[in-house]
Amino acid sequence: MVNLPNILSWILWLPLAGIFLIFLLPREKENSIKIVALLTALFDFLLSIILLINFNYNEPGFQFVEKRLWLDYLNSYYFLGVDGISILFVPLSTLVTVLCILISWRSITEKVKEFYLALLFTNIAMVGVFLSLDLLLFYLFWEALLIPMYLIIGIWGGPRRIYSTLKFFLYTFFGSIFMLVAIIYIFLQHGTFDYTALLGKSFQPHIEKLLFLGFLIAFAIKVPMWPVHTWLPDAHTEAPTAGSVILAGILIKLGGYGMIRFLLPLFPQATLYFAKLILVLSVIAIIYAGLACLWQSDLKRLIAYSSVSHMGFVTLGIFSLNPIGIKGAILQMINHGIVTGALFMCVGVIYDRTHSRAISYYGGLASTFPLYAAFFMIFTLASIGLPGTNGFIGEFLILLGTFLADKTMVVLAATGVIIGAAYMLWLYQRVFFMKPSPNVYNLEPMKWNELAALIPMIFLVFLIGFYPNPFLDFMRASVSHLLTNLP
Amino acid sequence: MFTLNLNFSVLAVELIFLITGIFFFLVDKFIKNKNYAYYLVFLAILLGFGFLMFTPFGDFTKAYQKDFFSATIQLFLLIGAFLIVLISYTFLQEFRALNYGEFYGLFLFSLIGAFVMVASQDLLTLYLGMELMSIPVYFLIASNFVYGRNSLEGSLKYFIAGALASAFIILGLALVYHSQGSLIFKDIFTNLAQGLNKKELFAALILILAGFSIKLSLVPFHMWAPDAYQASPLPVTTFLAGIVKFALMGAFIKIMILGFSPLRVELGTFLIPIALITVLIGSLLAIKQDNIVRMLAYSSVAHVGYASLGFLSGDYLGYGFILFYMLIYLFTTIGTFGLLIYLASIKREFLEIPSMSGISQKLPLVAFLILVLFFSLAGVPPTAGFMAKFYIFIMLVKGNFIGVAILALLFSVIGAYPYLRVIKVIYMDKPLYDYEKERYSISLFIPIILSLFIVLLFGVYPKPAVDFIQRTLYLYMNMLLFHT
Repeated sequence: MVNLPNILSWILWLPLAGIFLIFLLPREKENSIKIVALLTALFDFLLSIILLINFNYNEPGFQFVEKRLWLDYLNSYYFLGVDGISILFVPLSTLVTVLCILISWRSITEKVKEFYLALLFTNIAMVGVFLSLDLLLFYLFWEALLIPMYLIIGIWGGPRRIYSTLKFFLYTFFGSIFMLVAIIYIFLQHGTFDYTALLGKSFQPHIEKLLFLGFLIAFAIKVPMWPVHTWLPDAHTEAPTAGSVILAGILIKLGGYGMIRFLLPLFPQATLYFAKLILVLSVIAIIYAGLACLWQSDLKRLIAYSSVSHMGFVTLGIFSLNPIGIKGAILQMINHGIVTGALFMCVGVIYDRTHSRAISYYGGLASTFPLYAAFFMIFTLASIGLPGTNGFIGEFLILLGTFLADKTMVVLAATGVIIGAAYMLWLYQRVFFMKPSPNVYNLEPMKWNELAALIPMIFLVFLIGFYPNPFLDFMRASVSHLLTNLP
Repeated sequence: MFTLNLNFSVLAVELIFLITGIFFFLVDKFIKNKNYAYYLVFLAILLGFGFLMFTPFGDFTKAYQKDFFSATIQLFLLIGAFLIVLISYTFLQEFRALNYGEFYGLFLFSLIGAFVMVASQDLLTLYLGMELMSIPVYFLIASNFVYGRNSLEGSLKYFIAGALASAFIILGLALVYHSQGSLIFKDIFTNLAQGLNKKELFAALILILAGFSIKLSLVPFHMWAPDAYQASPLPVTTFLAGIVKFALMGAFIKIMILGFSPLRVELGTFLIPIALITVLIGSLLAIKQDNIVRMLAYSSVAHVGYASLGFLSGDYLGYGFILFYMLIYLFTTIGTFGLLIYLASIKREFLEIPSMSGISQKLPLVAFLILVLFFSLAGVPPTAGFMAKFYIFIMLVKGNFIGVAILALLFSVIGAYPYLRVIKVIYMDKPLYDYEKERYSISLFIPIILSLFIVLLFGVYPKPAVDFIQRTLYLYMNMLLFHT
């Protein structure tokens, strides 16, 4: 392992340089702005790949740790580190930023400067959430992410963007409150925000349950779990393509990541106490959202609901509380980020050409736009979880893990897979087959930036689908270590 | 033989302001170019900085003391006042009918009142300082009559509310005097520490609190605030929202530390419903306002509510965090109103929120500044507004007021909406008007950029300010122990 001083800080703060440069550029120079943003994001992605290569996956604890005193009165540290749980999310976040910049190359035409500033700011906040090991720092990044997302959805979104973005902001802001109170309480109990120091600490049982709930509300809204999912379809539908990709790719993963990172190790007793409830909620989410997909008439809304359903699998895997399920959940989060992100990009590609998201507007695209149809097909199949694609590995591991924990839930959840196949294939049929609709002739061929954004995704779909082992290796040690805390 | 040792050097800043102020009133009539006043007041404040920093601590009779606490608060007030003078310049260039030396003169007199109030050692001086701070402001609000007839209404409302506050405070003073025959803070403390006259003194404290809460616009005495804020010239609104409230909080903290400190837990319990309802009402009523100054007036009500949550635990650390909160609020307010002055100088209609739609198209810098400052007011990290709230909430949870903390945080979700709405209007709506950009004047944008810088710096690294304030309180408390 080579010596990489402060690589995490470099990854985290590198986009700041891009932000600074873009800030200085005059707003008329749109191309330079885009190029600066792209180069910054690419360089950041490169750094995170270097991090990935140098990561030692036999080590269960945190690596590349950086710790500096930040606020001494609060005993709070600028404390960064990665372990097997967070390592995969870092390159995913930086990759998603690169792809978002690519996919928005042509479709964002007004307030270009602000858009790329917001995207790079989002990158900092996302990576920050995955890297920070200090609860206060974590909360700071967690909340800071709301600002650029509020703008991205609100400024460049669709017709109902303002309603959606306010709903998104207020929902998540509301959820975070309880987490903030829980964080403050933990701090006052144990005198530290340091995650590693808190691992060995315990709480009184009833307090532990309350703290668990405080965190759970924040994470559940972000995931989103079933009763609090309603912001997601609106936000996804109205967001610009890049916004949807960030939402699907990273933002909703933060909830699942938070659950694995904080709920399980910090509150083991409460986790056991509430696990059943969360399993039930997850199954409801899987089936309910799957059924909801069946009667959506809007392309993006359908994929948004399918996100809710897929994230139901993730929470199911996490709260099966065994290594297989959790590894499946982490992998499924990565997969979902790739596949659903790619699906949103695909919708963006066609939306830029026709400006309609209604399913009934299309038909017969397969004959008039065959290359695009091929892309969409691959991601559809990955979303369904066809063997050979990445979706299969994740879902299979989750179902296997849940089988060890609770057999009834598996039976119910597995119906969700069937529903998933039903709505995705039906969607594909309505949009790509049947008689070509008059709206789909003479579409522009796909542009380089769209191809550049989609091809890496296809590569990842098959890479994880056929050879998931390296990805699972990364998390093996950390996940088994994580579960040693659970009684 | 009783001798008075009049140590004028501790009053140097006040004296400079007094002389400058009187100069304006005597000479202004004879000078044609009114911009001299700006330079003179600029000079006076710079001199004030020097004297504040370099004159030694000490007493002026038993009524006035320059010490760690008062000097720190005065320093913050002076910085705030300096920035407000800077933004006033641009404002007065645009609103020429107000451009008279008296504008700055009254401003300085009010500042003297604030200075005296935070340095007072007995209730009567405190009361006089408070009146001296308020009365020039009544004039300043009414001076806007040229530009809006409702300024008389605002001024009168503030005046009547202020008179009511005086009545409450005088009644409290009478009770204190009745029970112990002295108005000096230290005597109050001695009596309370010995458990004498506890009931009378608590009643007196509540009356004084009532007086303060009128001036601070705590519910149920918040009604004057929106009218007065909207009616005033914008720099005066800034002064009212930033400086006056900061000084009042400082003075009240001083009363609580120096005089009534044995009653601070009782006061905290008494304040729970008041602070919570203030936050709620301020946040709720801000939602529907179309005039941005009015909206900020209600938001100021809510912010004072958050700050006063710091009194609940009765912990001295909490008092420090109140000051930190008010300091951040002071700077955010100065930045915000500076931007409003800029917008108003382009087009008066921009003070109505719906008319601000789409200004990010032509004024991207202004829109960005509003974005940052408003997210700070809403309390979203990484801005200082979040850190200020965070410290207050730490004190709440520490004092075992978890329910209160959760409620206040819930109200902050409601309170975020008005700011989000403004951001929505300026970024996401289509522009309504066609207009020409104004020049970014230096004297206006230095305070704005400074407040932006402070908001961002203290948002990620609040340590310097928090340490400074807490150390001041600590030193002050040590000095008190040492003296008695």
